[in-house]
Amino acid sequence: MHAIEVSHLTKRFGTLTALNDVNFSVDVGETFGFLGPNGAGKTTTIRILTGISYPTTGTATIFGHDIGRDTIAARQSMGIVSETSNVYDDLTAWQNMIFSAELYHVRRDIREKKATELLTTFDLYERRDDKVHGFSKGMKRRLTIAMGLVNSPLLLFLDEPTSGLDVQSNLIIRDVITGLIHEGVTVFLTTHNIEEANLMCDRVAIINRGTVAAIDAPERLKKTIQSVQSVVSFDHSSADQLADVSRLPMVNDALKEGDKFRLYTEDPATVIESVMEYARSGNLRVISISTLGPSLEDVFIKLTGLQRTGGMVHAID
Amino acid sequence: MQSTDDKTGGPEQWFTRITRELSAAWAISRKDMITYYIKPNIIVMGILFPFFMFLAFAIGKNAPPGTLIPGLIAITLLFSASSIEPVSIPIERRVKTFDRLLSAPISLHSLVFGESLSGFLYSLGIACFPLIAGIILFATPIEHAPVLVIAMALTAFCFATLGTLFAAYPTENVGEVMSMLNTVRLPLIFISGVFIPISEIPQIGQDIALFSPLTYGNDMITYAYTGTSLFSPLLDILALLIFILIFQFVANRLYKKFNE
Ligand SMILES: Nc1ncnc2c1ncn2[C@@H]1O[C@H](COP(=O)(O)OP(=O)(O)O)[C@@H](O)[C@H]1O
Ligand SMILES: [Mg+2]
Repeated sequence: MHAIEVSHLTKRFGTLTALNDVNFSVDVGETFGFLGPNGAGKTTTIRILTGISYPTTGTATIFGHDIGRDTIAARQSMGIVSETSNVYDDLTAWQNMIFSAELYHVRRDIREKKATELLTTFDLYERRDDKVHGFSKGMKRRLTIAMGLVNSPLLLFLDEPTSGLDVQSNLIIRDVITGLIHEGVTVFLTTHNIEEANLMCDRVAIINRGTVAAIDAPERLKKTIQSVQSVVSFDHSSADQLADVSRLPMVNDALKEGDKFRLYTEDPATVIESVMEYARSGNLRVISISTLGPSLEDVFIKLTGLQRTGGMVHAID
Repeated sequence: MQSTDDKTGGPEQWFTRITRELSAAWAISRKDMITYYIKPNIIVMGILFPFFMFLAFAIGKNAPPGTLIPGLIAITLLFSASSIEPVSIPIERRVKTFDRLLSAPISLHSLVFGESLSGFLYSLGIACFPLIAGIILFATPIEHAPVLVIAMALTAFCFATLGTLFAAYPTENVGEVMSMLNTVRLPLIFISGVFIPISEIPQIGQDIALFSPLTYGNDMITYAYTGTSLFSPLLDILALLIFILIFQFVANRLYKKFNE
């Protein structure tokens, strides 16, 4: 049995097709990422899988329970962390935890133990009796995740868990998620952060405008890309060098990143030679040069058809 | 970890299921109590508004204020019970906490019931003010105290569910729900025999009065006070129960429908 099985899922809002014939399945214990730009349909997918929204056509099952027909059973083993930190501002952190536990029918004797444990893990226990009103964005995010874990879910939905957070919160959250993955919890996470998907997921689905373009392990997705990158830096850099290096033989594409140039090629040996040649002719010194394999970002750009704009397409927060 | 299999339908599973649903509903209404009972728009609509309505009628009619107590209790129940959810639910939609309730492992009926429960308890608490004022200030006699308790409880629950029903309208704007609700509940005051006896309003008003839950709530509360009424208290109870069921089911359908 799969933890999640999605078949021919389509969702329309009026004339807009938010999801277009989406198919995938997630194994028990797997960490599955939905990677796509804003508006791709990630949140819509989670809303359907958690039974808040209904598909226009298609079906989804959670541990074998159809989410439309057997909703309550399907939800019992889920933890849901939504995109916005939806905590109750007028309740204390402790009251928020207990309320969430009550909604999920966590037994009275387990509730308090679980709330204490999770608030401690997320470094909020000292603040448990404070109203959430005054919490920082990162604290609210941590509390949201703690609330999502209060029923010890077998399947955790995380909608952009670390988007726009401070470093401390980010580290705690990543640590906790890694721990859950080791315990065998199935994780479905959405992100527009390519590095996050690359680091955390067993498999990644790349989604754009409601259509899944590819599903595979990050490393295997990278193998579909031919080109490698050479990163070069000269002793003094200027903007017009970009035009020069991008015209060098065998360079497919070139980017200026800070004081470095990133050159995309299928033939790094030739490119390195011509870079050295270019440097000599221009009286420049090559300070460093390194060659990298394709990144998940390259796969993402190739599949989604997004343009590289100046620097990175991805938002590393 | 809880069992994920609720499909087997033995009596024990049903018992577990129902206790779970009820305790979740209770948790929802307790959360509302802590969060919304003291919100300003609830205090204005639920407490101050009925009080000024009462003053207006008391002055206009030149009637002894004590005789207006049953009507004051009825409209206090109407306005306070139906004011909680139209405030709390749009706010929860805006801050997305409503998604928590919609995605919890509970039935939509429990959600509607739990939301209504907070309006119900709130209005019973508020209605104690005119009740006690009647006893202390005007020495208004109560003929049938147990009937009054039942009448107030049913009326309160009926209007709390009405509030939950209107709050199903998918907006994040409190004012939008409130103004829709007010176009329904303000006219109710005038056609339901609260301050103007039903026999004194035009025939068309009298016909409409039969479809107003406030008619039956007010009639039963009047009976509890004076011993005289338009309908029998049993008919009032039946009518209020039917309204509660209709509101509960319509609310349930609307929440489902508006959840795209
Ligand atoms: N309730 C809704 N009504 C109309 N359009 C919606 C609604 N929810 C989402 N959409 C649209 O569906 C598309 C996918 O949105 P979403 O799933 O939120 O994207 P993501 O989470 O990947 O950023 C967007 O174009 C969005 O505007
Ligand atoms: Mg989203």
